[in-house]
Amino acid sequence: MSTSEAALLALARDVGADLDLDRHAPVSLDGVPVGVSLRPRGGDALARTLRALAERRLAVVPVGGARHLELGNLPRRVDALLSTDLLDGVDACERAEGVCHAGAGTRLGALRARVAEAGWELPLDAPDDASVGGAIAAGAIGPRCAAFGAPRDVVLGLEVVLGSGERTHCGGRVVKNVTGYDLPKLYTGSCGSLCVIEGAWLRLRPRPQRTRVFRLPERRAADALARGIAISRLDSVRVCALRGAASAGLRGIVELAGAEATVERDASLLASDHGASDAGADALDDAREPRRPAGAFAACFRIPALPGQLAAVLAALGPGAAVLVHPGLRLVYAAFALASADDSAGAAQAFDAAAAAARAAAGSFRCESAPPAAKRGRDVFGPAGDELALVRALKSRFDPHGVLSPGRFAGCV
Amino acid sequence: MSDLLDALRAVVGEDRVLARPEELFVYECDGLTAHTGAPRAVVFPLETREVQDIVRACRAQAVPFVPRGAGTGLSGGALPSGGAVVIECSRMNRVLEVDAANRIAVVQPGVVNADLSKATLSHGLLYAPDPSSQLACTIGGNVAENSGGPHTLKYGATSNHVLALELVLPDGELVRLGTPTGWSASLDLVGAVVGSEGTLGIVTAATVRLLPVPEGVETLLAICPDVVTACRAVGAIVEAGLVPAALEIVDRRTIAAVEASVYAAGLPRDAGAVLIVELDGAAVALPAELARVRELAARAGATRVEVARDDAERARFWRARKGAFGAMGRLAPDLYVHDAVVPRTKLAEVIEQVCAIGDRHGLVLSNVFHAGDGNLHPNISFDRRDPDELRRVLAAGEEILALCVAAGGVITGEHGIGTEKRDFMGLLFDEDDLDAMRRLRAAFDPDGLCNPGKLLPTPRFCAEANPKARGYDRVPLA
Repeated sequence: MSTSEAALLALARDVGADLDLDRHAPVSLDGVPVGVSLRPRGGDALARTLRALAERRLAVVPVGGARHLELGNLPRRVDALLSTDLLDGVDACERAEGVCHAGAGTRLGALRARVAEAGWELPLDAPDDASVGGAIAAGAIGPRCAAFGAPRDVVLGLEVVLGSGERTHCGGRVVKNVTGYDLPKLYTGSCGSLCVIEGAWLRLRPRPQRTRVFRLPERRAADALARGIAISRLDSVRVCALRGAASAGLRGIVELAGAEATVERDASLLASDHGASDAGADALDDAREPRRPAGAFAACFRIPALPGQLAAVLAALGPGAAVLVHPGLRLVYAAFALASADDSAGAAQAFDAAAAAARAAAGSFRCESAPPAAKRGRDVFGPAGDELALVRALKSRFDPHGVLSPGRFAGCV
Repeated sequence: MSDLLDALRAVVGEDRVLARPEELFVYECDGLTAHTGAPRAVVFPLETREVQDIVRACRAQAVPFVPRGAGTGLSGGALPSGGAVVIECSRMNRVLEVDAANRIAVVQPGVVNADLSKATLSHGLLYAPDPSSQLACTIGGNVAENSGGPHTLKYGATSNHVLALELVLPDGELVRLGTPTGWSASLDLVGAVVGSEGTLGIVTAATVRLLPVPEGVETLLAICPDVVTACRAVGAIVEAGLVPAALEIVDRRTIAAVEASVYAAGLPRDAGAVLIVELDGAAVALPAELARVRELAARAGATRVEVARDDAERARFWRARKGAFGAMGRLAPDLYVHDAVVPRTKLAEVIEQVCAIGDRHGLVLSNVFHAGDGNLHPNISFDRRDPDELRRVLAAGEEILALCVAAGGVITGEHGIGTEKRDFMGLLFDEDDLDAMRRLRAAFDPDGLCNPGKLLPTPRFCAEANPKARGYDRVPLA
């Protein structure tokens, strides 16, 4: 038994029966095998666990549905995963109010079903097996976020435990609120670097009367981009994605949703002006992030870009990139194939291309996934710029002992 | 003192520093006139570089400073606590860029809210947040307070429309937060700064999102026998899954004040309340939505529905809403505008109790509010020269806040905490919650010189006020 594991066992004994310690087959966290998960059964246990970790100077990586484990820099230290899977349950889903509350470990699929029963729609666009806490912590973006807004726009209130172990809440359950600092926005997308989410109040969205999905024929990049920008501005569009390669062509996926009359009007326009054809809902899979084949290696990036910058971004990415463009979301995803997990030349080219694309656009990028060797010596969150000193100051105050994912977040904090 | 004034004059020149008592008087408060504090000086920068140098000059002498826009805030956010220097940003009022193709604009903080939309309308675009003070309030102030307005219901508050910020930190350093796309690869520091009431730094430029002018608009008035009926109509509309651009309620007392004023809009004086509903979006969808709203309002008990026939009539309807605060000047010399939010399902019962509180204290209390968001604005008309009446006004205000919190709501939806509600934060947050906020503040301003005395209570006061947060039910998860 390693020193770290012995310390974790002692910690579990101290915290008590409402903390499960699971030994399991090692999970690779950027190449670091982690064979222990801590699973608190409630917010008090979560707080005691984090305090105990801080006292022992142990480090954990918080995990919900494990959908975003590849996002992050190489960990400086990790002794265990901190799973929120037992913090689950939909505690409130208010039909008349259009809000809900769920525990961090609740799977989005379960929450979606519950929300749909109440006649609403959950405006978080991450896979069904992602968790509420994970989707919020990662700031998970899906193609429907062009209409839903980002998770920051959906979260009304959060219960969190800070890295230093205090159990706190922020925000509220009402849809309008400026009572104090907007800590929910600070925590959303912080990738578990400041706190662990225990539960969340979320704003719901009325279910659309009508939904239709279309495919757009493949076109040369410039033409496809111009059409994509125009289509993304139609009233009922909630997904508009263009997939392909800058050097070849881009084909489109469009989802319309909303009032029946608006959807039908926009559908006619799509067909007459853009050659769109009806498609099934599964076509939306093509609008989601690039999926690499099992066993293949790739470096995948997210590059924010304004509509007018999209052409320059594709040019900077070069012919080797598989791209997914969301004009309405102002995002470009790019994937570069690597010859192997250790393809350092390929990784360098991929990061250089992403950096060049960022310079052609808003200046920032982040690597969403890459083999550990490709991350070594790099900050996958791209150039930290002016914000780095503030990020460090915040990390030192919210997680003073470096318990939460040390080294993993932007600026390697 | 003279050293500081010399330093400030060295930065901006003699004519952009005010220091004589008669010049400073007007800067002692913002729209919350019940709270005042004398500034040490008022400085008018024109450029970011000057803001940096002013901040450094203050910091060198450990003098606090407070940014100010138009001074229309209603919670004392721009009040100069502790003899602070007021950094008056209203002359930094240039629209730096309108990028119509990408639907963004870059503005200095002193740009007046309504002027921004005027600058973009020729491109078919607008800036959505529209606080009632939009003819005077500035974008910098809106960012500080995360301002809302009637159309927040559909379009969100300021934080939903600010993409990136240029911020002078409390140590004088300049940072650029966020990107014009609205996405950051790091922490959402733009989200943290918006609504921070000028305590984390001074915004010197903001990149904001512009929206297309809606293709169609329909505005209707639902005439109701009482405010509770109007609240029920709001609940029915929300539950039906409709998202109007605005859902606003004006009560009987406000109608009387408006109809007797220059803002008279032809509202029926015998109505107990009117509900203003505005629908916008694709013109093809509006007739069905309008019919549905009419049906829901009638079913809730509205006695009549009037639909605006043209833009002039629409403007008339809105005059009743937007002129309400001005019209209340007819009721009494002073007006205390409260601001709190409750779950929309609790609107009817809470508004009844709010009126009962006013009656119990013998006060003239009227209501005009953003009902679709559950955002109440109980307005108390009074005369501050009457100490007993002032005492009753403050007591009623406290009761209203406690009532809203007990209903699951919060103590401010758009006016902010400032000095007004600083000591009521304990109604919602316990010491650990507030300590998390202090950590955020300390990361930006470890010396506490940037707009001190706002937003956060002292730990002692909070613990005495309420050792355990009330009203926010921590949901048991296991």
